[in-house]
Amino acid sequence: MLDGLQVEGRAGETVLSVARRRRVSIPTLCHHEAVSPSGACRLCVVEVFWGKRSKIVTSCIYTPYENDRIETNNDRVRSVRRFVLELLAARCPGVDQIRELALEYGVDMPRFEPDKDARNERCILCGLCVRVCDEVVGQHAIAFAGRGMERRVTSPFAEQAEECIGCAACVFVCPTGALHFEDVDGRRLMKELHTEVPMVACRECGLPYTSAKQIEKVKSRLRLSDEAAALCPPCRARAFGGRVERILAKDRKAAFPWEQSASFAFESAEALSGK
Amino acid sequence: MAIETIDTPRQLATVRSAARKVLLNGHPRISVGTATCGLATGAQKVLDALYACRAELQLGQSPIPISISETGCNGACFLEPLVDVVLPGQARITYGNVQPEDAAGLIEAACAGTVYGKRIIGRIDKEEFLVEGTSRNYRRGKLADEVKEVPRYAALPFFRDQVHLAMRNCGIIDPTSLDEYIAKGGYAAAAKALTEMTPDQVVDEVTRSGLRGRGGGGFPTGRKWATCRKAPGEPKFVICNADEGDPGAYMDRSVIEGDPHSVIEGMIIGSYAVGAHIGYIYVRQEYPLAVKRIRLALKQAEEAGLLGENIFCSGHSFTIRINRGAGAFVCGESTALMASLEGRVGEPRAKYIHTVEHGLWNMPSCLNNVETWNNVPVVIARGADWYASIGTQGSKGTKVFSLVGKANRVGLVEVPMGITLRQVVEDIGGGVPEGESLKAVQTGGPSGGCIPAELFDTPVDYESLTALGSMMGSGGMIVMDSRTCMVDVARYFLSFLKEESCGKCVPCREGTSRMLQILTRICEGKGRAGDIDLLHDIAQGMIDGSLCALGGSAPNPVLSTLKYFAEEYRAHIEERRCPAKVCRALITYSINPEVCTGCMLCLRACPVKAITGERKKPHIIDKLACTKCGLCADTCRSNAIEVA
Repeated sequence: MLDGLQVEGRAGETVLSVARRRRVSIPTLCHHEAVSPSGACRLCVVEVFWGKRSKIVTSCIYTPYENDRIETNNDRVRSVRRFVLELLAARCPGVDQIRELALEYGVDMPRFEPDKDARNERCILCGLCVRVCDEVVGQHAIAFAGRGMERRVTSPFAEQAEECIGCAACVFVCPTGALHFEDVDGRRLMKELHTEVPMVACRECGLPYTSAKQIEKVKSRLRLSDEAAALCPPCRARAFGGRVERILAKDRKAAFPWEQSASFAFESAEALSGK
Repeated sequence: MAIETIDTPRQLATVRSAARKVLLNGHPRISVGTATCGLATGAQKVLDALYACRAELQLGQSPIPISISETGCNGACFLEPLVDVVLPGQARITYGNVQPEDAAGLIEAACAGTVYGKRIIGRIDKEEFLVEGTSRNYRRGKLADEVKEVPRYAALPFFRDQVHLAMRNCGIIDPTSLDEYIAKGGYAAAAKALTEMTPDQVVDEVTRSGLRGRGGGGFPTGRKWATCRKAPGEPKFVICNADEGDPGAYMDRSVIEGDPHSVIEGMIIGSYAVGAHIGYIYVRQEYPLAVKRIRLALKQAEEAGLLGENIFCSGHSFTIRINRGAGAFVCGESTALMASLEGRVGEPRAKYIHTVEHGLWNMPSCLNNVETWNNVPVVIARGADWYASIGTQGSKGTKVFSLVGKANRVGLVEVPMGITLRQVVEDIGGGVPEGESLKAVQTGGPSGGCIPAELFDTPVDYESLTALGSMMGSGGMIVMDSRTCMVDVARYFLSFLKEESCGKCVPCREGTSRMLQILTRICEGKGRAGDIDLLHDIAQGMIDGSLCALGGSAPNPVLSTLKYFAEEYRAHIEERRCPAKVCRALITYSINPEVCTGCMLCLRACPVKAITGERKKPHIIDKLACTKCGLCADTCRSNAIEVA
């Protein structure tokens, strides 16, 4: 039962997935279909009832049992979400996405004393960047360091991340714009991650479009010819007329069971090269 | 002594009777409590002095062999260093607060078969074999008069109401000796379980005993084992949680230091019951002695064949590995502990799928805490009915508490469930120092709550403590008197929890931090009108919203003090006053000129030179310079320093 309606889910399917299929909106910040759920932001909470007992669970992880009665938007659920958003709004007052969500839940001004450098804080520690790098890209270049309020996303020892291939999937998945990259003089700079990666230029047009490490990574996973790999997407489209893209799409499906995740990493690269 | 291999229950019995003969061999036996609490008060020096005296004596003509050994802590930490002397044919005499200077006298008295005249605490008349339910009198013939004069343990208020099951061997046996553990009936329960019972019978016995998890949650142990046994998947694991992290709680440390084999035996029985062949002991690195003792015990058990292949010829194989925790409080949480065991960062995950089904490396894992494992051999050896006869309806057996704080007698106390808080704090703990009044007791560690003195008639069991807004927890019991500010206590615990929150989920990470922010400003006299409501709101959000139990129970110290000591919060916020005179921003130190003798002690003690004055004339404190450290009040002999 989802909000009073009898619904059916696939075996092992989460509440969030069922709800989204039925167009029931549940807010999330740390969830992405491409990576494993974490349950860290606590925004997607719902209340599950078994008879008279009930419990707050995170819908991104909880897989319901038969006869579970789930409410996705009752007072208790909304008050947890409001609380989480109030905390996040106090942590990151400069992030519009958070402020808008918070307003939606009736949080105008957080009741907490502002922190000194809260203005500059954009990271909510959802961990999507870390999970994308681990699970989709497979590089494990970044991770959490520190505990509690000291927790932060960073490269090992806050130095150049040797494993980083500069794909910037972390930047694209970040829901609050806490990570950035900048391509300057043939190098991709990722200042929050203390890392820069040299880029290679397109053989055709001469513009830097990706890093050598990323080409290697992509080639190790997909059947991509050297000629195709040496071109930036616009030049590639001109040269191969979309044929390569179709092969890629097919390969992606074959190479990874989680189709979306593969395409995700790839799209990030493509989006970059489009610039 | 070389350890023989023990392959059958019969061989165990042979080793046992041989070891028991040594134990009761008629020599004087001296044992020194060298658990961490003993060592901290100088037990090593006492032990060294005893060895030296014995060596000297044996150079001469003394014909009497004396055995000197180390032992764990019997719980009376306030009397450390403790020395026990078994006088053959008489009794076991305990001496407390022993100094190295006493060594010669102790040895002499032991050789002469008499009582050393000083530092006497009490005597035990019988050697108890608790797991067998038997005992042996030390006395042969008539008891000497001077021994008779030593009070029995049963007459000592600290021990009178205690029942030692978990601590059955602590402070009695040498924890480095497998023989002594076996002599006391050790490994008999494992032999019984593995050779006479089916795994289902073991699970059933534990279930019927009513044993519940001693680590905090109080989950029925038998039910946990049954689920793990039924869970599909191989291999299965049993895990001992020895990551005791609550401030002021140290019973698990003491059990491992004093009786490491009991934990191993419990795990052997558990592994047989659930069908696991690998066990882990997750012990914190900050317990070096415990690590050393458990490591030695494992080695001994392996050499004796009590761990390894085909234990007791039962076909059951089981090995244990040790993992040391690196000091994160959250790693006491089961899922975080397992993550840490796997070599990942110790962070919890949602427990919608229980660890008994998908735990360590996604395999069925049965995790219990040290004290739970330690209780298992007793349950099996004495039977579920006997075990269930101790305690209350819902909480069976005993529980070890570490009674610390402002109590007169601090230490580890093991009491039957259902005893009242008053009995623990006032009868056993001896209340608080004269002139102060008992105010509250904090149970359950940082996630527990403060229970006010008015409610001290509450029985100590899982349900009653939870109903009061506190919890049993792992067994910390911090006594507070009128000198304790409850807002400050809440602030302290929140600062601990804020430090220890792993930071994964928002409510716990940000919530503990915001709570601490508010409590700090209240303690600084900057509390605001809406602060109490705000604390309540944060608490509710954290309870509902947090990922794991650390965050979910983190508001307890605040909620329980708000509930029982609301007046103190009000005084801080509205009157800018700390009734217990603890919060520095809200108190001032001054010298009563009528009482001050002008001795200049405080003047010299003041680290910031805020006190001025001449000899024999009243001194004055410069209130602006004063940092309110309280050193002057501590040094003043005439009580002239006043705090307002």
